Amino acid sequence: MKRKSYGRDAGLTWRMFTTSFLLGLLYVVFGVVLIQYLNFGLVPVLVIVIGLAFFQYYTSDKLALRAAGAKVVERDEAPELHDLVERLCAMADLPKPKVAIVDTDVPNAFATGRSPKHAAVAVTTGLWRRLDKEEIESVLAHELSHVANRDVLVMTVASFFAMLAALLTRFGLYAGMFGGFGGGNRNNNSNNTPVWLIVLAVSIITYVISFILIRTISRYREYAADRGSALITGAPENLMSALQKISSQITMIPDRDLREVAGMNAFFIIPTSVKQKTAELFMDHPPLEKRLAALEKIAREMGRPVA
Amino acid sequence: MGLRDILSGRNKLKSPAEDRLFALSTARVTLDMELGLKSAGAGGIVFKPLSAGEFVRAENDLQQVLDAVAAESGSRLERKSDEYGYEWIVVRDAELEDQITTVHAVAQGLEEAGFGERLLAAAFKFEPKFGDAKTVYWVYGYKQGAFWPFVPTGDKERDNAEELELKAKLDNELPIEPDLSRWFGLFDAPL
Repeated sequence: MKRKSYGRDAGLTWRMFTTSFLLGLLYVVFGVVLIQYLNFGLVPVLVIVIGLAFFQYYTSDKLALRAAGAKVVERDEAPELHDLVERLCAMADLPKPKVAIVDTDVPNAFATGRSPKHAAVAVTTGLWRRLDKEEIESVLAHELSHVANRDVLVMTVASFFAMLAALLTRFGLYAGMFGGFGGGNRNNNSNNTPVWLIVLAVSIITYVISFILIRTISRYREYAADRGSALITGAPENLMSALQKISSQITMIPDRDLREVAGMNAFFIIPTSVKQKTAELFMDHPPLEKRLAALEKIAREMGRPVA
Repeated sequence: MGLRDILSGRNKLKSPAEDRLFALSTARVTLDMELGLKSAGAGGIVFKPLSAGEFVRAENDLQQVLDAVAAESGSRLERKSDEYGYEWIVVRDAELEDQITTVHAVAQGLEEAGFGERLLAAAFKFEPKFGDAKTVYWVYGYKQGAFWPFVPTGDKERDNAEELELKAKLDNELPIEPDLSRWFGLFDAPL
């Protein structure tokens, strides 16, 4: 499952971060507990990890759409959006994905699905309202590039190895403690710290590091998709202005009335400053300036005018 | 909000933060001199009335609050309801300070009468002194204890650029809500 987040929706970023982090942590704790207490071998652990990864991979389109509250729309419900997607798919030589809409003010879009044949692209109503047609087209082209680049597959594989790395580190330690590496049990009696505790700590540290690495991979994929968008539309300046619009402060100011959303007020509990800091630390998108600079370079290569 | 609230599943509404309302009267000079905005003579408080069951008792309490405040202040008080099902107490007074004091008194009265958690916001209307610039509202969120600007330009549209400029000019004087995604509007406020 791979979500594309454009607007700086700190709340959503925080949720996605927490979810994916906890999911991974769960795998690790799960593996440790299985091996430690049930005395399973490496093989069943591998089978379980592979099983979970495949489950994620095969259900990624439905999972992501549901998590974002996206509604798949047919041609008669959103003819303009379907037209745009169809034209871009023809350009990019892709089968037409499912098209979905998320009803929220935050301008945002994402693509998901394990392969081009099982893909879906979603845009928010905020994106549709605040950007003009060329800009929406460039954002959709960016998302379709993710589909074409098979980013769901890439990220699934990346997280799979991260999970495996965590488990293998744990396993090496385990073997060392119990003489698996030949005479390694010298220290066993003098050390009173429970083995499982050490094992758990190491697994978690490994996991945290690989988590940051996965985020880094994700940022590289964004640059690739930006480039793809420039190639499909032939006009990188549209994506540049779209990115600027999406990430400018103005788009954060809601269009809705206070009285419509009053029920939500009770849930405004995480201080803004905390949300922002956490989001910056684990960004899965590169900073705006760097993306704009990269697009400007592409624009110059293509001989397009740059504002 | 503590850990215990999280674990037990919080079901209480946040009680209102009233004290920072008065910051607006200190910001009056900047609004007037630098931005050319003067009070339009109306401010108000918006809250959600109770469900029908307790309505009669609440209605009596509310009337008592209004009578008590009206007796003490020189402002004119009006009750209005809007299409969202919210109640407004509109305070009409030429002086901004008096508006604020009266709004604060109404808020306190409502809180003492047990409506505290149902206070949504206060709003103050400002008009440009010269030309035909736009009407500006300063909204005070009781849940957040902070102000934000609201410049409606049409049915469901607002002038975000103007709002950000107002924030930049008054950031030092007013407690302004830092999270822009909470700057919800109050369209068609009966002020």
